Amino acid sequence: MPELNSVYRHREAGHVLTDVSSYRDAGGYAALAHAINERTPDEVLYAITRSGLRGRGGAGFPTGRKASFLPKDAQLAKYLVCNADESEPGTFKDREIMELNPHQLIEGMVIAAYAIGAERGYIYIRGEYEYQAQVLDAAITAAREAGYLGADVAGSGYALDLTLYRGAGAYICGEETGLLESLEGKRGQPRLKPPFPAVKGLWASPTLLNNVETLAAIPPIIEQGPDWYAAMGTEKSPGTKIFSVSGHVTKPGNYEVILGETTLRELIFDLAGGFREGRSFKACWVGGSSVPVLAEQHLDTPLDYESLMEAGTFLGSGGCIVMDDSGCIVRASLRLASFYRHESCGKCTPCREGTGWMENVLQRIADGDGRMEDLELMESLFGRIGGNCLCALADGAVAPISSAIKLFRDDFARAITNGGTERPEPMAPAVALTGGRAGA
Amino acid sequence: MTADEIRDHLDPIRDQFAEERSLVLPALKFAQTEKGHVTREDMEAVAEAVNLSPAYVESIASFYDRIYTSPTGERIVSVCVSLSCMLNGSDELLEHLCASEGVPHEGNHAGGTSADGRITVQEAQCLGACDRAPCLQVDAEETMGPVSLDDADGQLQRLRSETAPRPMLR
Repeated sequence: MPELNSVYRHREAGHVLTDVSSYRDAGGYAALAHAINERTPDEVLYAITRSGLRGRGGAGFPTGRKASFLPKDAQLAKYLVCNADESEPGTFKDREIMELNPHQLIEGMVIAAYAIGAERGYIYIRGEYEYQAQVLDAAITAAREAGYLGADVAGSGYALDLTLYRGAGAYICGEETGLLESLEGKRGQPRLKPPFPAVKGLWASPTLLNNVETLAAIPPIIEQGPDWYAAMGTEKSPGTKIFSVSGHVTKPGNYEVILGETTLRELIFDLAGGFREGRSFKACWVGGSSVPVLAEQHLDTPLDYESLMEAGTFLGSGGCIVMDDSGCIVRASLRLASFYRHESCGKCTPCREGTGWMENVLQRIADGDGRMEDLELMESLFGRIGGNCLCALADGAVAPISSAIKLFRDDFARAITNGGTERPEPMAPAVALTGGRAGA
Repeated sequence: MTADEIRDHLDPIRDQFAEERSLVLPALKFAQTEKGHVTREDMEAVAEAVNLSPAYVESIASFYDRIYTSPTGERIVSVCVSLSCMLNGSDELLEHLCASEGVPHEGNHAGGTSADGRITVQEAQCLGACDRAPCLQVDAEETMGPVSLDDADGQLQRLRSETAPRPMLR
């Protein structure tokens, strides 16, 4: 199984890397010193572009190309913003980076900021990650004391500092322009694009926004060279990607794999332990909750951007939620619809009203008050919600529901004719309670 | 909380932002650490400290789930109800917690504060701990799972025996 811990350096090291010296002992901060003291910003940007790294937050846009959109001759200050608002249901990969390997994120941010000439970086972390914010805060302070941040980064004369900004519970603030609005002290409602943040972002200045995993992937690219990275995976999907696997699997957790070399079946059955005795696969949302659902016939799809798109879904955030045959697709779809109704920011009418309608109709189907024409009603709603809004939340709300009705139409029809669906017996995880203050 | 106390808290980070408006959310979060929610007076103090109108501050406070504009219990227990947790029993967990605390649980909407004012039970959207489903969070920094019904009873007992930590992180 091609598991490769490149972003998850702490797993390779076998212990947490929360302090500067342990991170340095594991090879950390060598890339930063090399990039800043021996490479020009353009050379660093070129290396990121050449590696083929794509955005790991969900959109999969090439990272180097996104950075190259920032105007070179801007009179305005430039900013780097790290999106640590990890709120996509089923996604917990960034949490592990921030909790156990925070310096790799900081190092990646310094390198990216240097490449674009940013004068300050911001990390926008979701309010529910207060513990992770405290770990990160301590790591930023330690990095500053060690000279990796501040007025003279690694003795190069380049000045950069990072600010950690805590959110307060709003999924929409993970949308890049919603995030910028929130960071500017406004309600976190998305902006009309264009202009894109690269041109007019934070305080109307050129801004590069990247996900935690994307930024943490940069130090190894600089250390081992972009060709090393580009050689892993497929031509269009190079490198490694972390998949968070959860739901009905017996070994839920994060798994960093080389793109294109692992199939969905291997991820679910070999890495995540498969199902309990007597249970079989029913459905899976491979890229978080905002992607079309997959069924049994898709299990042999290789995990890379193109193959998953061909299978009718998206790689997304890599938050892979898996359901076995004890689950109910109608109730699962209803639960997702409720999430989007709750998280719609209300700015665009099709999303604000449409997410509520999807929830209402699914609720009555689950409760036994559904009518056969409800399925056609739902299908007529999808096109009026998706594609008509400022951001991707509405499209993300429609994708899992429309695909479920398409792939599992019989299940919905049965719920309507049988007077609803029973709430299935949940899986009882066989492991002990862990947590407390630490999220590890 | 007074505007001066909020100003003192904000002064060390003021120069990190090009515009003062960015301080409104840190100010609200700080004001909330005193009582666990923000009162009208707190929002007026925030407004004074960051030079915005009270109405504007309230519009920000009302946007975020984790800024509470009415009183909560001493401790807040948030039960994740997103899909991965649902598949592992979060609905049963939430019902159990609501029944234990004597707070409403009707259809899709559940939660409230116990009669003794000690514990608020509420639904939460994905808490990012799906590997430990079903999970719950106490206030903002303790996330745990998988939580069995027995574990839940133990946690309620523990929270009742503790005094709520200060500052109150929500």
